[in-house]
Amino acid sequence: MALTLYVAAPTPLHRLHPVTKLGLLAAFVVAAFMVDRPLLLVPLAAVIAVLMVLARALPNVRRLRVMFLLVFFFTLVVWTFFYQSVLVPTYGGFLYGLSTAIRLDTFLATGILFLSTTRVEEVAYALGRLGLPYTMGFTLTLAFRLVPVFFDAALSVVQAQRCRGLEFGRGGVVARLRRFVPVIVPVLIGALRRADRMAMALELRGFNSGRPRTTYLRARAGAADVLAGTLAVATVATYVVLWAAGIGTLAAHP
Amino acid sequence: MVVLTAICAALYAAILIPFKVVPLIPGITEFRPANAIPVVCSFLFGPAAAWGSALGNLIGDFFGGLGPGDLFGFLANLLYGLVPYAVWEAVTDAPPVPEGPLASLGLLLVMGVAAMLCATVVGWGLHLLGFHPFTVLGTVVLMNNLVVAVVLAPFLLAVLYPRVRRARLLYRDLLGPRRPLPRWRAALGATLVLVGTCTAFAAGELIAGGRWVAPWAAYETASRRLEVGLGLLPLLGLAIVGLALL
Repeated sequence: MALTLYVAAPTPLHRLHPVTKLGLLAAFVVAAFMVDRPLLLVPLAAVIAVLMVLARALPNVRRLRVMFLLVFFFTLVVWTFFYQSVLVPTYGGFLYGLSTAIRLDTFLATGILFLSTTRVEEVAYALGRLGLPYTMGFTLTLAFRLVPVFFDAALSVVQAQRCRGLEFGRGGVVARLRRFVPVIVPVLIGALRRADRMAMALELRGFNSGRPRTTYLRARAGAADVLAGTLAVATVATYVVLWAAGIGTLAAHP
Repeated sequence: MVVLTAICAALYAAILIPFKVVPLIPGITEFRPANAIPVVCSFLFGPAAAWGSALGNLIGDFFGGLGPGDLFGFLANLLYGLVPYAVWEAVTDAPPVPEGPLASLGLLLVMGVAAMLCATVVGWGLHLLGFHPFTVLGTVVLMNNLVVAVVLAPFLLAVLYPRVRRARLLYRDLLGPRRPLPRWRAALGATLVLVGTCTAFAAGELIAGGRWVAPWAAYETASRRLEVGLGLLPLLGLAIVGLALL
């Protein structure tokens, strides 16, 4: 099971400055919030689809295709039945649900595009450049690196407990949940041992020295970043104009 | 504390990710046996668990796609990891293990409040964004949090707490003892957290279901985004002020 969506590919989108990628993500999210009409959300979704192709992120879309469908249909059904009422279907609810479903799928696609082109170290780097404390970014990357380690440890413990005769799939929900206890306990105890060693290693390397931090990651903004920044600003501006003109609201165009 | 935060986050994410394939509300939440981790880690590692829960949830979102709703997921999980140790420590000096009916009842109550505050913040935030109605989301997240925490956390605490205490890795061993709070402050803080959380959740259900309009948010929008958004704000504020007092 792959624990990251990052696609290692030498595309122009991958080479963008991490802050620019974060800006593009924010711009698409803001733009999608500005309008409710499904027809106006479609061009935005199309732009993201083109960027997906350019970023070679389509395998991730295929991997999460069920999620796209589930998000779409669940949102459509829920809002159809819970719009200004509880469990009473309405046409207004259907339209609102359609708009929200496209918007949520757009967010999902934008998130996948961002994660397909940005490594977690770049996310931490971008957050640091935007003023987030170093320890926060470091903790995020450290935790991200530890996930596969604990994941493997949990799998090993599950296998070991199965060998001892523990059956995870038997009984009701509560009984099944309780069978996670003999898995979580050894994983957590193992994690604590690791924590002790890791804390000592960090101290030995002067983690709390208070000196300015250095990083191997050196990102430089270039012409492509200017172009991407312009695209982000233009997208947001277009959708803000549509919102201000009242064209994007469902009430004005039922 | 940095390492413990990372450990809590990684543990939470490592158990969250495999269950991404069992969605309860697609794209928003899934069946989460990992929901016991923030509560258990909160009693053991205090603030490190609060930040660890928030980061762990964020890492889980990295696996399924990022979105604006994740900001509320971050905040909700931060509170989910913050409430148990903060309220427990303010109310009693006893170890958070289910020894005897009173301690068990107290643990269940604290876990219930933490689960409800987390569910309220997620439901409030995502209804405010217009993603899903509070009526559906708040209820599903509350049940998901509550069932898993109540079933798993007491067992885990009974096994883990003595071991972590022996290893001197409890947050009080690392941070040092804290000056006791004045009794009025502890009582007021815990009461505000309890009242703010319960009223916010009830108000969310009533406003989103069209059965009540908060006098301070007497608007009329089709999706009730504004009514839920502004209606719950002061009540959630009460809970946050309560936590700040603790």
